[in-house]
Amino acid sequence: MLHLKKSQLLIGGALVWVFLSRILQDQHTLELATSENTPFTTSVGDVAASIRGNRTKSAAFVYFFNPIRATINGFVEIIRTVISVPRGNSIIPLIGWFGVAAIVAFTVYATSRLRTAILATTLLLACGALGMWQFTMDTFAMTFASVLLSLLIGIPMGIWAGLSDRVLKILTPFLDLAQILPTLVYLAPLALFFLIGTASATIATMVYSIPISIRITAHAIRNLNQSPVEAAISMGSTGKQTLTKVQLPMAKQMIVLGINQTVMAALSFVVIAALIGAPGLGKPVVDALIIRNVGQGFVAGFAVVFVAILLDRSTSAAAKAQESFIPPTPRQIRNNRIKVAAAGFAAIVAIILSRTVLTLAVWPTSINISQQVEDVTNNATKWMTTNLYIFTVGFKDFISNWVLNPLETLLAFSPWYVTLAAIVFLALVIGGARVAILAAALLSLIVLSGLWHEAMITLTQTIVATLLTMTIGIMLGILVGRNERAEKILRPFLDAGQTLPAFVYLIPMLGLFGPTRFTAIATGIVYSIPVVVKIVGEGIRAVPASIVEAATAAGSTVRQIITKVQLPAAKKSILLATNQGMIFVLAVVVIGGFVGSGGLGYLVILGGSKPELQGKGLVAGLVILFLGVTIDRIAQASAQRA
Amino acid sequence: MKFSLGRRSAAASLIVVGALVLASCSSSVNDNASKASDCGTWGMAMHAWNGYTASAQVVAEVARANGCTITQTTLEEAGVTYDAMEAGSIDVIIEDWGGGRWKEWVDRGAIVEAGANGNVGLIGMYVAPWMVAKYPDILDSANLNKYAALFKTADSGGKGAWYEGPPGYTTIGEKMISANKLNFKAISTGSEAALVDVLTKAEANKTAALAYFYTPGTLFIKIPGLEQSRIKFPANDWTDAAKASGLTDYPETALQKLMTKKLMDSGSIFSTIVMNFSWTNADQNSVAADIEGGMEPAAAAQKWIDANPDTVKAWLG
Repeated sequence: MLHLKKSQLLIGGALVWVFLSRILQDQHTLELATSENTPFTTSVGDVAASIRGNRTKSAAFVYFFNPIRATINGFVEIIRTVISVPRGNSIIPLIGWFGVAAIVAFTVYATSRLRTAILATTLLLACGALGMWQFTMDTFAMTFASVLLSLLIGIPMGIWAGLSDRVLKILTPFLDLAQILPTLVYLAPLALFFLIGTASATIATMVYSIPISIRITAHAIRNLNQSPVEAAISMGSTGKQTLTKVQLPMAKQMIVLGINQTVMAALSFVVIAALIGAPGLGKPVVDALIIRNVGQGFVAGFAVVFVAILLDRSTSAAAKAQESFIPPTPRQIRNNRIKVAAAGFAAIVAIILSRTVLTLAVWPTSINISQQVEDVTNNATKWMTTNLYIFTVGFKDFISNWVLNPLETLLAFSPWYVTLAAIVFLALVIGGARVAILAAALLSLIVLSGLWHEAMITLTQTIVATLLTMTIGIMLGILVGRNERAEKILRPFLDAGQTLPAFVYLIPMLGLFGPTRFTAIATGIVYSIPVVVKIVGEGIRAVPASIVEAATAAGSTVRQIITKVQLPAAKKSILLATNQGMIFVLAVVVIGGFVGSGGLGYLVILGGSKPELQGKGLVAGLVILFLGVTIDRIAQASAQRA
Repeated sequence: MKFSLGRRSAAASLIVVGALVLASCSSSVNDNASKASDCGTWGMAMHAWNGYTASAQVVAEVARANGCTITQTTLEEAGVTYDAMEAGSIDVIIEDWGGGRWKEWVDRGAIVEAGANGNVGLIGMYVAPWMVAKYPDILDSANLNKYAALFKTADSGGKGAWYEGPPGYTTIGEKMISANKLNFKAISTGSEAALVDVLTKAEANKTAALAYFYTPGTLFIKIPGLEQSRIKFPANDWTDAAKASGLTDYPETALQKLMTKKLMDSGSIFSTIVMNFSWTNADQNSVAADIEGGMEPAAAAQKWIDANPDTVKAWLG
């Protein structure tokens, strides 16, 4: 009864909304020319300018920001000197490519097993063959530095949050916020304080990855089997003893898994960090994007994929190695020690060779297949854009004309108060009074910021991309949930898709669709589908087999089982997937500012280049945050109420 | 069975550290490297238009031939790059189109002006040349509205599409549209390559296009008649885009070189090369055309350097 009323309310509300939007179209849209500031953005710009002006003089910079910048820069530079950049008059870094490959092989072998070590080394050498050796080493250096610093902060804080409810409660809103905030948004404020370069990029990466390591560490400590902990306490262990002797060893596997997640987060940031001058594989990716060389983008993108798989497999294998509860026999320990020592000796020999033999020091130019990969992908893209014209331009124009433009008219070209009221009404019906009040407050702030129109452009793209993502994602999710073979086939793609930085997808999409809003939308879809398929698939699989069997026995067709039994039962998972999908999509749609999608992302990018618009760019970042929280809270409330 | 992670990783890190110590003690191929001159290591900003690549690559190759170590970093223009210069990771911008937008950084002592680079830039709005033949009066900005409907796309909101330059470029398109009451919508393209794509495709397929472009540039060689397809707006002169009225056209601009104070004060030969570097639009076009034709930038630069030894010699001071 109540349910019916809710849907009636929504339909009625939508009709009123469309009607009002029609008669009041193009009035009070708060459109603002890109080059124009509002009083608010001007004053933020003034603050930014005064911060810039104080960089050399003010105490905060001299004693706080600049030393941090110098320290982190120095730290990363030391690592780069070892593996990546020749110093002074040298022609190779401290260790040549052969030595680095040996260290990777040895480290992975020592922490997991031979097969993973071979995989890791092969992938690393493949990066070299793509002509990306030095970029790959820079990425290693950046990732290593930022992960180490992140763990240094993240693990202790995670342990603290794991032990204390109060700390967890204080941290949770920040952790939530960090997950919603698109990565592009951190860059400008950080660059303001730490300038452009390695330090800013490292800190930005840390901002992104620390919350993940805190979350997983806290989770690991909290979800331990409590009986050994209680036993230890009852036997008179102090808090410190319980932690170091019982809780930490028991949580070790989970914590190593947290390291894995932290590494992957850091890596996914490494590409976007190139925008603020970070060295690494992001550089050729961004280059390719700017000069629109799809082939070159693919070459660099493949290297990113290889590094991602390498780091993912070796860290998760290290976590798996913790699984065994059977203590090794002394003989096994001895055998293992001998093997590891032998491998270590071989590694040292390899390092020395890599310093003395030129071909083992500098990656040989003859082993380079980048041109071939570039040509093949360029030709493939060219073939697709000329021969699949119907698919590329036709589909793009169809979506633009029939979905994107009408929705944009409704959201961005109606009076602001109509759209605002409509969204708040939606929040009220779906999520209740609290969510509605939050939405009203955040949307009003967006109106006050002066960037309402741009925000609605971005929201439009986010909604369209989410709709398309959910359409494809639910279908694939049903397939994966119902069919184990399909799950096995799709799994590696979903895993790989989740580990790839969104930026990498942007280039082939740009090749196919040109500099348009649809390029950003298509990228968003590709980026968010894996997470949606996984959540929906799990939801479908979680539907009790007995219900499905009962329906089958009652003579339901497959279609009936899906639509009448499995989908309704998995409703919560689907709504949860929508929530995740939207947040993922928002992060990408914002990056779309680079390829002509306009909206808030474009303002953020513009603010980086044009000093007179820096304030506007910073405000745009803040508005993205408001928009993200609004979307997240409404979607989450709908999932919780289901 | 396995070691515990603690012992294993302890052993692993011990060996890695040991190896590093050993490695740094052992002799290396570096010891045989010839000692370079004391020019030093300097960073060059690489902006993403073909003409910039040509100028920067020639300067970089000349510097390298004189013992400098030059790193080249792709960055968006203006603010981002000025900040990078203040931070010390970039030392030179070889071609900046902005009329003094760097003033604040000069005042702070981070950047010094290194004079004009000899190239003269002219930005404009261009239509595909076939349109000029068909609609002769289209080149007068006053007639643009008459043809606006031709330029409509799925992304231009019912108005004509006005393909605007990338974020870091000097752009006043929106102001031009509103001041001249044009029925067009400025669409951000994001890159020179996108603009090239728009104009090339339009000319090839005889579709309508109005796009931002600029001399010096090799596109004018590739699309005959493009140079004559520039829309004429009521002329006016300004230097700071932020203060342009919009009722105006883009003025001719002497393109500027910028460097860090650190480089200027270093007395390095690189500072001399950058200070003295100057060449013509034709020079830049010849290198840019080779790069666009598929030659590696370094090879294209070297070709020009070999063909113009006297000019290069003059830069060395």
